[in-house]
Amino acid sequence: MIELIGLVKRFGDLTAVDGIDLTVHKGEFFGVLGPNAAGKTTTIRIIAGLIKPTSGSARVAGFDVQTHPLEARRRLAYVPDFPFLYDKLTPLEFMRFTGQLFKMSEAAMAGSAKQLIDRFNLGPYLEKPIEGLSHGTRQRVAIASALLHDPEVFVIDEPMVGLDPQHARIVKDVLKERSRNGMTVFLSTHQLSVAEEMADRIGIIHQGRLIAVGTREELRERVGVGVALEQTFLSLTAEVDDGAARPLSEVGP
Amino acid sequence: MIPPDAPLRLLLGIYGRQAWRRLLGIREQSRLLTVFIAFFMLGYAALSFALFRMGLRFIGSFPGLGGVLTERLMFLLFAFLFFMLFFSNLAISYTNFFRNRETQFLMTLPIPFQTVFRFKFIESTALASWAFLYLIAPLLAAYGMAQKVPWDFYLITLILLALFIFLPAIAAAWCAINLARFLDRRRFQVLLLATAASLIMGAVFWLKPQPLSDDKLETRVLAVLDTLMDKTRFAQFPWLPSYWLSSGVLHWAEGARSTAGFFLLMLLSNVLFFGFWITTETGKMFYAAASEVQSRSSVLARWSVLRRRRAASREFKLGPRGIERFLGWLPGQDGDVRALVAKDLRMFWRDTAQWGQTLVLFGLLGVYVVNLRHFAQQLTNPYWVHLVSYLNLGACALNLATLTTRFVFPQFSLEGKRVWIIGLAPIGLQRVVQVKYRLATFASLAITVTLMLLSCAMLKMPRDHTAFFLLVVATMTFTLNGLALGLGTLYPNFKEDNPSKIVSGFGGTFCLILSFLYIAASVALLASGSPWSRGGTANPSKVAIFWTAYLALSACVGWIPYRLGMRKLARFEL
Repeated sequence: MIELIGLVKRFGDLTAVDGIDLTVHKGEFFGVLGPNAAGKTTTIRIIAGLIKPTSGSARVAGFDVQTHPLEARRRLAYVPDFPFLYDKLTPLEFMRFTGQLFKMSEAAMAGSAKQLIDRFNLGPYLEKPIEGLSHGTRQRVAIASALLHDPEVFVIDEPMVGLDPQHARIVKDVLKERSRNGMTVFLSTHQLSVAEEMADRIGIIHQGRLIAVGTREELRERVGVGVALEQTFLSLTAEVDDGAARPLSEVGP
Repeated sequence: MIPPDAPLRLLLGIYGRQAWRRLLGIREQSRLLTVFIAFFMLGYAALSFALFRMGLRFIGSFPGLGGVLTERLMFLLFAFLFFMLFFSNLAISYTNFFRNRETQFLMTLPIPFQTVFRFKFIESTALASWAFLYLIAPLLAAYGMAQKVPWDFYLITLILLALFIFLPAIAAAWCAINLARFLDRRRFQVLLLATAASLIMGAVFWLKPQPLSDDKLETRVLAVLDTLMDKTRFAQFPWLPSYWLSSGVLHWAEGARSTAGFFLLMLLSNVLFFGFWITTETGKMFYAAASEVQSRSSVLARWSVLRRRRAASREFKLGPRGIERFLGWLPGQDGDVRALVAKDLRMFWRDTAQWGQTLVLFGLLGVYVVNLRHFAQQLTNPYWVHLVSYLNLGACALNLATLTTRFVFPQFSLEGKRVWIIGLAPIGLQRVVQVKYRLATFASLAITVTLMLLSCAMLKMPRDHTAFFLLVVATMTFTLNGLALGLGTLYPNFKEDNPSKIVSGFGGTFCLILSFLYIAASVALLASGSPWSRGGTANPSKVAIFWTAYLALSACVGWIPYRLGMRKLARFEL
């Protein structure tokens, strides 16, 4: 569903993404972890088609995002960490707008919207201008609108920003359900607990390279059985920083 | 079946709905202020119509020359408007195409990149051109009345204008795309400086006045007129779109409808051809340009010396650098004030659009003032010398007003985004605004006082007159900065990151109008109470009354909004 083949992105003398090869399968929930400036957002922006890779390619649902951008974007939904919404529209108008852009029929739009509005508790806000909504409510509007056309691939950057625990739970549940029903989820986060709880597989990006990919268990085994994900993450990134593996005792408590 | 251009219509529908709701949002503002702004807008239209009418009548009254001069004025006006529209479109298009969150959002949706570009092109054209129509409508109405044209003149003129505004917009969109593809911020700054310098040099060279004796003016009118026409002939360059517009308007007014029709078709064919080209071929480059802007590093980083310097600067050196060192030499500045000033100066320098506009505005005024030395030789009558000096004062203050509204007004709103650090710091919000006031006033004073000093020197004015004008312009600088910062604090907009959008709101419009009214009233008061009128025999008590009125007006206009802003900050809740 998502294929990254030899993906490289350079900003002048800085290599932000350094030869990433990755395949995320249909219905898989893939979590991406990495320190700040590791290259996660750049990778996501290439998948979303916002920037061109220096070399390599990204494919969404079998379509190259550079050569067949429309086909790829029809099957994709992307929610950045601070999503854009039209301030003067209401959530209902915004959802209709995105549905129309994805060429949904009125019936399909109404059915999908009703389900998402109920699920994300957006009912009380539907007729209010978006400019007056809280950050968390705006985030829910953005996620609901992105899910409206039932995308095959869902790419989301820091989904829990601004969400209260109740709504964070709802977002997690909805994404997990959709993933079980065949939607591929590519989630980037700094919250290790989110990745640990949600992801079928986790990738760790550091200094532009995908330094580890696997299930939680596989990653733990790589540094030592029974180690928490936080220690696994710290150990793996420290290996790259040092150029060699360091004993786990030096990395974390 | 959904038609292929449905996304564009959908986007335009959303744009229209948002614009309409913004307009309706005015109802939420103070009714008194809304009426005040509406009154000013209508007042401007009525006043400019009356002035244009008087001016056209005056020019038309020159025997044998009225028609020629009026015609040339129209050509000149539209030629300047063409270039102004081009630069306005260029600045707006670049920001709208590449520095806009909506564009980023739309590029992730299943809309062809060309459709995104078309939508953004239409939006930029509308944003850059609406004011143009508002500004020239009174002139065209006055021209129509002066020429006693039939009603269809206004309809045809509207069609000609609607076609015309697309041509500078198309040229600017093409330039914006190619600037994005090939220039990074540093190269763009260099190009901007070089362009501004060559424009100023060109203006100095081209507009250099030629000395004329009274004898020559009286006996060789045709020769003088010939020189004047020669200097302004560029406006009649037949490849300029403004030439087609002016010719269409003038011919229709004269009843030469087939010739006017030719120019209308000329505009139409060019709009269709270049419109097709920009929305297809240039649109294809849009994604590459947008990706290039997002992927750019500094071009200077390619030089090994600078790379080494950069690498060295990455090492932690927490000591003062550059501007902070300079500010450290200034006495009586606390560390927190220095930090705030250094931050504001750095942000100003790094926003090319900000100092670029300042450079163009005051650069052109500087060229005019420097050229006054030629003009001053013709001014033997002290009346004209003083009239010109008061006009210079007004021009300088009007330029300052646009800058204080554009840059000083949004300062508090912009800090609102960073309120978590500045508002919570022990410096306090009131002091933050005070520091901003001092910095803005100091920087403005450096420009206005220099320009006024130059103006007086070029006009060879005596020292006491020069001191008077310097004091006046200094007072105006204090007032206009106080007004802009005060109103900016009273009507903040914390939702916007873009200062130009903050300014285009209700508070910014109110600030600009109030600034203009203050300048008009001040210049009128000072000129009426000039101690040098009537050959220096003006009644001292009358002079004192007008000066007191001016000072009282300045104190009220500058101090009251500033004070109210400070009071608001004292109660401001983070």
